[in-house]
Amino acid sequence: MSRKLLILCLVAAFLLVLVPFLGIIPVGWADVLRESPGHFIFWSLRVPRTLVGFIAGASLALAGLVCQNVFKNDLATPDLLGISSGAAAGTVIALKFKLRLAVLGMSGLHVFSFAGALSAVLLIFFIVRVVKNVSLYTFLMCGIAINFFFSSVIVFFQYVFDYADTFSLLRWMMGGIANAGYREAALLLVLLLLFLLFILFFAREFQMLSAGDEFAAGRGLNVGRFRAFSFLVLAFFIGAVVSVCGPIGFIALVVPHVSRLWGGNRFQATVAITFLLGGCLLVSADLLARSLVPPLDIPVGIVTSMFGAPFFLLLLLAQLRKAG
Amino acid sequence: MGGSLIRVAGLRYVAGGRVILDGLDLAIEKNDFLLIIGQNGAGKSSLLRILSGILPVSQGEVLVEGKSIAHYSRRELAKRISYLPQSDEFTLPILVKDILLAGRYPYRSLFGKLGRHDLDLLEEGVERFRLGSLLTRNMQTLSGGERKKVLLATSFIQDVPVILLDEPVNFLDPGSAVQLLQMLRELHENGRTILLVSHEIERFFSASTKILALKGGKNRYFGTKVFSPSLLQDVFQVNFERLRRGDKEIIYLNE
Repeated sequence: MSRKLLILCLVAAFLLVLVPFLGIIPVGWADVLRESPGHFIFWSLRVPRTLVGFIAGASLALAGLVCQNVFKNDLATPDLLGISSGAAAGTVIALKFKLRLAVLGMSGLHVFSFAGALSAVLLIFFIVRVVKNVSLYTFLMCGIAINFFFSSVIVFFQYVFDYADTFSLLRWMMGGIANAGYREAALLLVLLLLFLLFILFFAREFQMLSAGDEFAAGRGLNVGRFRAFSFLVLAFFIGAVVSVCGPIGFIALVVPHVSRLWGGNRFQATVAITFLLGGCLLVSADLLARSLVPPLDIPVGIVTSMFGAPFFLLLLLAQLRKAG
Repeated sequence: MGGSLIRVAGLRYVAGGRVILDGLDLAIEKNDFLLIIGQNGAGKSSLLRILSGILPVSQGEVLVEGKSIAHYSRRELAKRISYLPQSDEFTLPILVKDILLAGRYPYRSLFGKLGRHDLDLLEEGVERFRLGSLLTRNMQTLSGGERKKVLLATSFIQDVPVILLDEPVNFLDPGSAVQLLQMLRELHENGRTILLVSHEIERFFSASTKILALKGGKNRYFGTKVFSPSLLQDVFQVNFERLRRGDKEIIYLNE
């Protein structure tokens, strides 16, 4: 177990150092220190992009892990449940109306992204409450409905209001980290570390919840209150990530699956592996995205979906076969 | 009767416009082994959920050690009552050791550090229930019998005077069911109070000391264990009979 962790640490370090050198325009070791076009590309474009990629990947993966534990279902992730598209709809509305309402240091985009994510969360919360059922079926249907709804909201605002920036919006919607800078990296890093602390501090609660509501309640956990609190944190966090990177899919689904396996189902190990693997995966996917069809810079969300969707289908088949 | 461990007075529970429990009065004393029987939908599971604080009391009163159950925090209640739900579906992987340690959750400190006492109880539970070889296994890969054993051990580690169980031997093979009953007897002999819901009257009759028979949410019988064919006929519409063999008492269904 700890050997896997060590290898992952090395891979992560290797990727973080190497990836900024790779791309259509070659950057050599010499460019790192000397003023040159390569120097600019390296420090102003590729390094922050790689950092944001790693941080966003780790964030999405950890958010997925928490969401799965809170819902006791490994297909319940923010993207499949429509929380991410809620956040995206919020961001689109903020962008379209140029809403710059900043609250408590949160940017206007983040405020609206958070509100969007929160409305999706409340909707799921409400549905689960009404049907008193957290089966796979409930989640998938909820996810489909919520995703449809927010997608239509997004398309509506894109269609009705000026076309000028529709292309850039569309690109953002596909999930991209191309234009991220150090500011975004720093913001997301702070939030990621806080989220990590949150997970580790409440490790026992998350483990107990994953064993079932009644089991957790019977051991003295106030399940309703804790779940509501987790969702608030989750919506805030997803809101921040989505407002920067757009809704990048499937990282949240794929990574925790693998890390549970690698971590031997030990929670702390699973969290550590999720963090590193999520980061590595998104950085690799982004590298692939910008070198697949040169000189095009494909939004990374397209790549993660392309590889993630078949994985999702396999998982779904396995679960449905087990259930049936 | 003011000093009862658990006192239920005029308890009514209504959910979705349906009366689930209707005017229950119970006094549960220390070291009772109460067998709760009744048809499906008679309100047995709801009663356990109310006593464990998961469901609210619609009307009437439930006193635990003289204090209204509504005035307990979840955590304080979990130091007195341990509830094992009927369903033990694990949809996500979790280690046996983590399940067992959840028993210490009500006593946790802010940062969740385990103390000497916690680890001692864990060790004792593992030994008593012979779980040594299962500790690092995933709950999902355990057999039904092993799973129930782990859950009962969790209640032991939780170190509470009262244990509530909902259908603990459902879907268990005969060997596992006998083992589980033996463990329950031991817990009872060690002074624990046990409230158990089961359809397997034949199995639990001899171990129990009191019986509660529910029909349509109403109390048909509550008191010291007696074998009453007419009561069982009233509750289940089937005939039970009794055989004595030496000092053993066997109850069976006469079809």
